[in-house]
Amino acid sequence: MAAKTTTTAPTTSRLFSGLTPGSAYFQAVRLHGDPGFFVRANLLVLWLAAFALFWLFNPIKALPYPSELWRALGQMWAAPGSQGLVYNTYVTLKLNVVGLLYSTILSLIIAYMSVLPFFQPFNKLVQWLRYIPIIGFNLVFLTLFTIGWPMKVAMLTVGMSFFLVTSMTAVIASIPRMKFELARVLGYNDLQTFYTVVVRGTGPQMLEVIAQNAAIGWVMITAIETYNRTEGGIGSQIYAYSSVNNLPAVYAYLIIIGIIAIAEDWLFALVKRVAFPHTTVAERA
Amino acid sequence: MPTDAKQDTDSAGGGGSDNAYCAPGPLPGSAELLEPLLMVEQLSKSFKTNDGNTLVVLKDLSLTIRNIKHKPQVVSLLGPSGAGKTTALRIMAGLDKPTAGCVRLSEGEGKPLRETRVGDVGVVFQRYPLFDDINVLNNLIEPAVRAGMAKQAARDKALRLLDEFDMVKQGLAWPQQLSGGQRQRVAILQQLMQDRHFIILDEPFSGLDPVNIINVIDLIVSTANQHTLNTFIIVTHDVTSALIVSDTVFLLGRPRDGKDSPIPGARVMKQYDLIAEGLAYRPDIEDLPRFSEIRKEIKLVEFPRL
Repeated sequence: MAAKTTTTAPTTSRLFSGLTPGSAYFQAVRLHGDPGFFVRANLLVLWLAAFALFWLFNPIKALPYPSELWRALGQMWAAPGSQGLVYNTYVTLKLNVVGLLYSTILSLIIAYMSVLPFFQPFNKLVQWLRYIPIIGFNLVFLTLFTIGWPMKVAMLTVGMSFFLVTSMTAVIASIPRMKFELARVLGYNDLQTFYTVVVRGTGPQMLEVIAQNAAIGWVMITAIETYNRTEGGIGSQIYAYSSVNNLPAVYAYLIIIGIIAIAEDWLFALVKRVAFPHTTVAERA
Repeated sequence: MPTDAKQDTDSAGGGGSDNAYCAPGPLPGSAELLEPLLMVEQLSKSFKTNDGNTLVVLKDLSLTIRNIKHKPQVVSLLGPSGAGKTTALRIMAGLDKPTAGCVRLSEGEGKPLRETRVGDVGVVFQRYPLFDDINVLNNLIEPAVRAGMAKQAARDKALRLLDEFDMVKQGLAWPQQLSGGQRQRVAILQQLMQDRHFIILDEPFSGLDPVNIINVIDLIVSTANQHTLNTFIIVTHDVTSALIVSDTVFLLGRPRDGKDSPIPGARVMKQYDLIAEGLAYRPDIEDLPRFSEIRKEIKLVEFPRL
């Protein structure tokens, strides 16, 4: 007589019982066939550990050691007033936010105008200008704006707009023709079609484009603040510390920029989830 | 009234308006006869190609969709890929202008025909595009409100239609959350919200399995049956489905010359009146020998020559 066997679904704890930590890790990876949070978190830790090891034993002497960076951060934190870490970070962050806001508004207007053939050559010209370093226009800005905050904001706004307009125009150009035609057969007039299909319909992609181009803003900020150091800021501090070979302080500021960039990315993702919930659904789907 | 009809024709955005064919006038035929609801008259469309040549897509395409008493109209524009079906669809919907000819439609029983304008004829496009940033309910309400319906009335109508089509549960879902069949239903409802009777469905059976094709056929029939003036024009290359769902099938294609080469410009090559054939409205249509004969004729004789 054949032995009667019963099969029961193994519980999760039984799947891991008796395994070494290493085996348990690979068991978890197997369980999460599609890498879940557990696997992603472990991969992140793995990469951070590899980076930390490289940093500690790095052969490139130009890179300061973590201890040197930590010391530099402490000194910058303790530095008074306009020399301090908080003040300079605040100045740059404010410039970044204001510049991003103004360039977004300006770029959206120019990109939206590209739906009208009359404005398309102007749009192309703006796109082409992204190849030209914004510092090259400093005399123009000097003529038009007061040196200091107004000039820095103007340079950042215009400089970022060259990139934003390019990406935003591409978003508009990629709208499927069917979307416009759907609005037309539903009886929408030109303005309603424009608002529904172009403005509202591309909202999530525009936000994505702004998030991507915010990084370019940081590259420009440091250049603009190096050129125009009247109010300080991270750019002017990096220039000042570089000129005296204080590399730990320079890299400390670069790390500050990195931390702000991560926070910005997170903030943009949050805004996208809240303002355009349907995109989260699409991502899940 | 002729004067009003003239004004309508003048303001039309659709086709070549100075064509004598499109002049408004009394309805052809006597009151006993079924009056035309939509007439496509001598429609031609050609495009300039990049090499400077002219590509003739449609040439003198004419067809008439007549009012069927106590029944909706479901006609199919059947033809192989590249036969010019989509071009004809776009002109009928007012999305493109013809090179010559025009499309006229009736605004109601007893009213004279006038040229179509964009928005007169609803289109359910392939892949069923919807406004992805608003939920299903608002996809129905918003276009109706933009067309002048009161918001509360639009909401009531949208909810009623969703209920009729068994879609109430999906009312607050995003379009991305819908299956293909559900999207198709919402796309049709979006057009029905507009109180229009002419709806073109572009390849509604494309890429569907047999079970879903039957579901789509049932959906078309039940939707069309909501009003006797409802006129569904199905643009498809699916011979079997077209024959099952339609009362009339127009076969679109290019004629051949003496050397058996295709002559540029698609036109209606043949018309199958399935009411006269005794096939229309028959649930057992697929069991009828005549159905098989016509299907075989189209598939094996007509299609290869179009």
